[in-house]
Amino acid sequence: MVSSAETSPAAATTSAETAKLGTWMMPFMAILLHDLRSLWQSRLVRLWLGAALLLTFMLVGANWSQFRDGTLIASLLFPYLVFPWFFVVVVLGVGPVSESRTEALADGILSRPVSRCEYLLATWSARVVLVLGLYLVVTIPAIVLVIAARRPVPEDTVTVYGIVTALGVVGLVLTFLVSLGFLVGTLLRKPLLAVVVLVFVWYPIGLILSVFSLEQFSPISLSRAISTQLRQPWRQAEANGQTSANAEDINALSDQMSHFFSVLSGAPPKPKAANPDFFEGETFADFSLVRVVLGYGLPTLAAVFLATLSFYWRDL
Amino acid sequence: MEPAIRTEHLTKIYGQRLIAVNDMSLEVPPGSVFGLLGPNGAGKTTTLRLLLGLQRPTAGRAQVFGKPCGPNAVGVRSQIGYLPTNPKLPGNLRPIEYLDLLGKLARLPNEVRKPRISALLRAVGLLGATDQKIQTFSTGMCTRLGIAASLVADPPLLLWDEPTAGLDPSARRFTLDLIREMGKTKTVVVATHILTDIDQICGHLGVMHEGRMIFAGSMQDMKRRLCRHDFTLELEGAAEDIGRLAREVTDLKGIEARVDAGRALLVRIADGQSRSLALAEVLRRIDANNLSLSVIHSGQNATENAYLQLLQEDEAHGFQR
Repeated sequence: MVSSAETSPAAATTSAETAKLGTWMMPFMAILLHDLRSLWQSRLVRLWLGAALLLTFMLVGANWSQFRDGTLIASLLFPYLVFPWFFVVVVLGVGPVSESRTEALADGILSRPVSRCEYLLATWSARVVLVLGLYLVVTIPAIVLVIAARRPVPEDTVTVYGIVTALGVVGLVLTFLVSLGFLVGTLLRKPLLAVVVLVFVWYPIGLILSVFSLEQFSPISLSRAISTQLRQPWRQAEANGQTSANAEDINALSDQMSHFFSVLSGAPPKPKAANPDFFEGETFADFSLVRVVLGYGLPTLAAVFLATLSFYWRDL
Repeated sequence: MEPAIRTEHLTKIYGQRLIAVNDMSLEVPPGSVFGLLGPNGAGKTTTLRLLLGLQRPTAGRAQVFGKPCGPNAVGVRSQIGYLPTNPKLPGNLRPIEYLDLLGKLARLPNEVRKPRISALLRAVGLLGATDQKIQTFSTGMCTRLGIAASLVADPPLLLWDEPTAGLDPSARRFTLDLIREMGKTKTVVVATHILTDIDQICGHLGVMHEGRMIFAGSMQDMKRRLCRHDFTLELEGAAEDIGRLAREVTDLKGIEARVDAGRALLVRIADGQSRSLALAEVLRRIDANNLSLSVIHSGQNATENAYLQLLQEDEAHGFQR
């Protein structure tokens, strides 16, 4: 009895606080859900989903008996980092506060009791949630299939930690792209111009980064490094350079033995797994998960902050 | 009592090129229906957008119920229901979904939001269209939905920009009646260039011209100030009798008269003269001149005359300012 009397006010306080938080977050959630719904109904997103599923299916099918697990998963993530999905992500990021939508935006939402910061964060979150959701919905089943299926290729040493961190790194790059599109769309107002500017910035990003000796952050470098991260953390791979070489020797020996026994038994030889250079990074002295997270995370935060600042000063 | 709206030297200049609102100082009394009158491009919509914080003033300041306006003035916007001209509504939503979204933006709890949405849809006559998407709505239906949207949060101040634009006569009548009804409990600001609307619904008005507020006061003040003591008498009888009557009336002290359009006698009574005595004398002389009176107006299109006169005076005095 005493216990119930003691807990009940605490529970009531918690419940009141939850209700207060819910009321406080109500506009944010309303805009987020409204934007998600509008985005989901857009042709661009539907086409992207269809095309991403098709491309993933084709990549898995074409390399089923060619690439080892790590290499195949890295090849699945490549379109999100380099081409063509970065383009879609950028276009999705540019849209919300461009000039064509300003009037409807002002009349419909910003003339209501909503702060501009609340609106921007909600609409940015909607785009991030949509992009990451779609990316994960397409890639996770494919990765599970690649890992779980018995394929005619040598075993690989892909770890769950590696998969989670690789997916996280690509997700972070996509979040950065949405934020970059958001910032440029807010600054330039004209969506077409913003997309053109972003394309011209993103494609030579490797060159731009190399000027500042940061080329390891370029999407191409990340694509090359992901297969290694899938097997073991970059720093560890660098430290275990000798181990890696030994593994290659063991694989080569294993292939020769397999071929030898096949010839003796008359059975067809086990297909040799390809290890294309592009998806296999070698040196990781400058790589670490923390550096990549900071390298993309901080610019993402800066882009959102600058977009909010720019939007705050704008007349609608 | 705190004015519903107060602006002090409010100025908005776009890109150092266009002066949209020019040094405007204004007070709107609470509980009034205030007409913001002016020709196209006078700065009415810009003024409303400055109050909403959608635009930032170049100079001066604006307050709503004593709170400063600005882009992040959520507290101010929670007290305002805004109806834009020909509102742009999300076509992919249905009316209930749209009003529910706006109710959530106003942080209304579910138990308040849902009954209010249904009451509003009934009030604006859209109950029969709740299953249609907004993109299928006519202009009148969009305006009705816009009106409902401005009332979702039950704000004490309504800013309605050209609420009768593009409406058919019955929808226009409905909107004007609604404004009159709202004016009993709320402060309503109606920006328009349609004089008859102002005449029918507003107790106070401000006249804007080229970004400046050239008159602000009650409707009576405006008519009294500019129309003075004018009457128009429509007469039946011979034209020469009407002409003779005009000459006789003009000979009376403090009264001027002239014939307009052959059958109408415009009578202007000078300040300080008794209107009733002067009018009685004119009516007596109508009978004496074998004329009969068909209609009598106190001024002709008083608001329109006053408004046009204000604009002319403003243009004529441009250099003096």
